[in-house]
Amino acid sequence: MQDALIRKLESFEELSDADRAALRTFVPRLRQVPARIDLIQEGDVPGDVHLILDGFACRYKVLPDGQRQIMAFFVPGDFCDLNIFILDQMDHAIGTISPCKTVEIPRHAIEEITANHPRVTRALMWCALVDEAVLREWLVNIGGRQADQRIAHLFCELLLRLDAVGRVTDNSYAFPFTQTDIADAVGLSDVQVSRTLRELRALGLIHLKRRVLTILDVEQLKAYCGFNPNYLHLRNARWSSRRQVPWLSSVQGG
Amino acid sequence: MAGQDNVEPLVVLRPISVDTGSPDRVGMLVIANGFLVAVLVRLDAPEHERRGAWYMEVRLGQLAKVRPPVFDTLENATRWVRQRLRG
Repeated sequence: MQDALIRKLESFEELSDADRAALRTFVPRLRQVPARIDLIQEGDVPGDVHLILDGFACRYKVLPDGQRQIMAFFVPGDFCDLNIFILDQMDHAIGTISPCKTVEIPRHAIEEITANHPRVTRALMWCALVDEAVLREWLVNIGGRQADQRIAHLFCELLLRLDAVGRVTDNSYAFPFTQTDIADAVGLSDVQVSRTLRELRALGLIHLKRRVLTILDVEQLKAYCGFNPNYLHLRNARWSSRRQVPWLSSVQGG
Repeated sequence: MAGQDNVEPLVVLRPISVDTGSPDRVGMLVIANGFLVAVLVRLDAPEHERRGAWYMEVRLGQLAKVRPPVFDTLENATRWVRQRLRG
């Protein structure tokens, strides 16, 4: 299991033998988590860092009137909460959307390794940087784009992020999200989401059935919402060849 | 203003067709004490999870400050509006 983490980090930075040896010294815990379960709740004291191996999760907050705002979706290969091990108390919650297979990395292990292995630290910083870039883009999405573009943008982003970890086949990917999940992620009502999905279907851009989303015309969908994938840092980067290593599929056995 | 006094406002519905860019087009202007305060639209598109229910498409004034549910009936909608505007 440490190998999965090593491969993940090596997609950002070249690690030394000593780095890899250090990563192998701690024993992460594997967990199967059902859908719609909190991995950690607001107010909790964070202990472990969670890495998603399989499934979908989200970062969210609930307002006093019950309204939920989703700030991030996590897909296989994502750290849910890379920096929260520094926190004394969670200021948000992390919950699963679909059943998930996660790895829990103990807080002290991260602290020990980052103190002694700068390349590992750098790789972790890359993960955090990409997470922040995605968050910035979501802010732009909610604040600047029209309802239909927001959803199209989310679909384009998920296509690329899932493709990078080998979870896309013929422009189709698993889509366990409800209309409410989408609504809460892009700042719309369920009704607006339902209407937008209808419109995207009518335009021949998407097909959504049995929790599988197919992007029928990727270029058209990107043009529709002005999608620029630069913030995902997937291409034109020095590690792009290594980034494609399907490290996730190799650890699906457990 | 529609809900200034601490008495229940008189809420009247007036039918209107609404362009929502979807098959949802049966609407109601919601008028409280002579003021337009909201527009309700019936959810008729088959994609909706609550088909036949009433969605508050537009909220004005005091109503813009609260998050409305989707209403099963127009009676529920008017009751909600009256309660919110009572002051």
